[in-house]
Amino acid sequence: MEFRISKEIFMKALQRIQGIVEKRNTMPILSNALLEVQNDQLFITATDLEVGMKSSYPTTVIREGKITVSAKKLYEIVKEMPDEEILFTTKDNDWVEITCGKARFNIVGLSSEEFPYFPKVKEESFLVFKNEILADMIEKTSYAICYDETKYNLNGIFIKAFDENGTNVLKMVATDGHRLSVAQKEINGNITAELSKGVIFPRKGIFELKKMVEEEDGEIMLGFMDNSAVIKKGNTVVVMRLIDGEFPDYTKVIPVANDRIVQINRDKFLHSLKRMSILSSEKFKGVKIDVNPDLVIISSSNPELGEAREEIEISYEGNGISARFNAKYLIDVLSVMEQREVELKLKDELSPVIMKAADGEEFLAVIMPMRL
Amino acid sequence: MAENRIILHIDMNAFFASVEQQSNPALQGKPVAVIGAAKRTIITTCSYEARAFGVRTGMNSWEARQKCPELIFVVGNNKKYSYTSKQIIGIMREYTPLVEVFSIDEAFLDVTGCLSLFGSPEGIAGMIKERIRERFGLTCSVGIAPNKLLAKLASDMQKPDGLTVIPPERVAQVMERLPIQQLCGIGAKTQQQLAAFGIRTCGELGRFPVEILKKKFGVTGERLHYMGLGVDDAPVVPEEEAEEVKSVGHSTTLDADLCQRSEILAVLLQLSEMVGRRARKYRVTGKTVTLTVRYPDFTTFSRQLSRSVPTNNSDEIYRDAVQILDQLELAQAVRLLGVRITNLSHQAEQLPLFESERKKALVASAMDHVNNRFGDFSVTFGTLLGKECGAKVISPAWRPEGVRNVDAD
Repeated sequence: MEFRISKEIFMKALQRIQGIVEKRNTMPILSNALLEVQNDQLFITATDLEVGMKSSYPTTVIREGKITVSAKKLYEIVKEMPDEEILFTTKDNDWVEITCGKARFNIVGLSSEEFPYFPKVKEESFLVFKNEILADMIEKTSYAICYDETKYNLNGIFIKAFDENGTNVLKMVATDGHRLSVAQKEINGNITAELSKGVIFPRKGIFELKKMVEEEDGEIMLGFMDNSAVIKKGNTVVVMRLIDGEFPDYTKVIPVANDRIVQINRDKFLHSLKRMSILSSEKFKGVKIDVNPDLVIISSSNPELGEAREEIEISYEGNGISARFNAKYLIDVLSVMEQREVELKLKDELSPVIMKAADGEEFLAVIMPMRL
Repeated sequence: MAENRIILHIDMNAFFASVEQQSNPALQGKPVAVIGAAKRTIITTCSYEARAFGVRTGMNSWEARQKCPELIFVVGNNKKYSYTSKQIIGIMREYTPLVEVFSIDEAFLDVTGCLSLFGSPEGIAGMIKERIRERFGLTCSVGIAPNKLLAKLASDMQKPDGLTVIPPERVAQVMERLPIQQLCGIGAKTQQQLAAFGIRTCGELGRFPVEILKKKFGVTGERLHYMGLGVDDAPVVPEEEAEEVKSVGHSTTLDADLCQRSEILAVLLQLSEMVGRRARKYRVTGKTVTLTVRYPDFTTFSRQLSRSVPTNNSDEIYRDAVQILDQLELAQAVRLLGVRITNLSHQAEQLPLFESERKKALVASAMDHVNNRFGDFSVTFGTLLGKECGAKVISPAWRPEGVRNVDAD
């Protein structure tokens, strides 16, 4: 195999797959990228068997063929090359020669035969989404994804589509068992069988998808095959294995009887929480929220440092109620909301609270308090 | 560090055995040995009457019986000892807040600052001794010296019921001919290594070139040099300022060596519950779970696993311990098992959002409430019913309060 490619294109191509390749080195081939050239195109593939990415780039092919090399080392080499055309040549016994200007590298690769099979994608049943819709929904839910590997069914975002009064709606839900976030948006087009049943996208795949949809405005295509989701954008295809598990019935977690409704200014609340949490150490992570008619008192105390307290005017009529929360959970939610007024729906000090925009139904978060 | 400190070391004489003799007059004046409740236990303390026969702490009951056929064995009652110890520490704290509890029957007191209130150090020592005798009928040996090292040495010089003072001007004289192994902190191995240099007494240790000691022992070398001179500037650290605890663990020597998986699992569940309960009580969670196994030939090893999220849930600790066990190939039966969580973080309790999980958390805290009131394992797992549970010998790391306050049973 032999091809010429511009340094700029090669470097960007290799950069994109750095997040995909396996870092734990359990199977050496998974740390490698597969490079194939044919029909004046370079195809670069990387996979960790859970999430895979394949992209194509224009190149000048001298001799067709394929090889795999360490994705990280190749990227480091190309990144430091002078801004000239790069010549990539395979030699006997899977050796690779990379030349650029007067610099020459000889590195050892692995045969492409050991590289996992990357599925061929059929383009029939793809749904088309606007990038900004997905970007917004992922931003509003991904922070709540669970990192506890034993709760594998929570290690991703649950995505489901359904018909709501004649319009199609897409819903994303994430939870770590302490808090839950739900985002929903209207979508165009039909609902596939997989989406109407609901699927769990893995965390790693979600972060790759997030990068793709945040890159630029435009559209992205989504389809499903063999328990995997397929995402296509321009010259790139990402295939991610869906989490094989049951997402818990999140509707049961959203309280229906929370009738104490507090309306509070988002910015004031957010900045106050950031201030109050300065004094919450690891031991006493919580902030205390005392809701009184027309006034909320946010406070934190830390036996090793001292205490802090702040009042904010709110609109609330009803009995006083106190609860303690992990400040980060509240801050995470407020940070992704655009609206100026936020609504808190409470029941009592040991029941979950609902947070949403005062005027908007597209986003909702549920947070469980700490013990008083 | 303040110059001219005055440190007391108070060491209860044959503590467990004396407490038993006080609570049961039939034992007074007789050779008594306190042992653990487990079948294969060792002597944790013995009375001075028993010591006269050559019975020593650490002997097994068979050995002890050989030395002293009329020896009376008493199964230790840790609750009684920890209660008494707490009361005694309370008495000490009436004289100075600087009380460092060294173990269940030993404490250091820094009385430098309270002499104007209570008079001479000997006077304070006398008052404490008298009150302990009057209240509990127990004796103790007190050492008074300019630092902890020498105070401990002094209390050791006269037992039982001693009061020994090493004033600053006599330190050099005392150290000159003192065999190094009498210093707290110099064990058999260090003693051997020092003997190779021809060092047998503290005087010789203090005069020995410190550079050579440093080369051989590293930083400890310098400390050894100062120990030889009788210099120790370690402060008396009261409990609340003591270093944060780094692990919560329990281990137990089994009544009989086990090789059945089901029997091993029952012990692991019991240990996990003890660890979880103590961790919950002090609101710590651990990210690493460690399993320790000892074979009958005393080969001991530990394996650990890291969790993605910290826990203090007995059930989760148990599952992790079992997972570690299943990765082991046991070459022999098991003599001792230990479960420990480390990599601790403190946290107030975040309740789970999902109801089933929340129920688990609430059940654990309901169990803890009941067990706090009615004693450990009053409410417990079905598989543990009919089993004897609990630590049988109190740990040397026992402290009157804090995470180390193992609930004695």
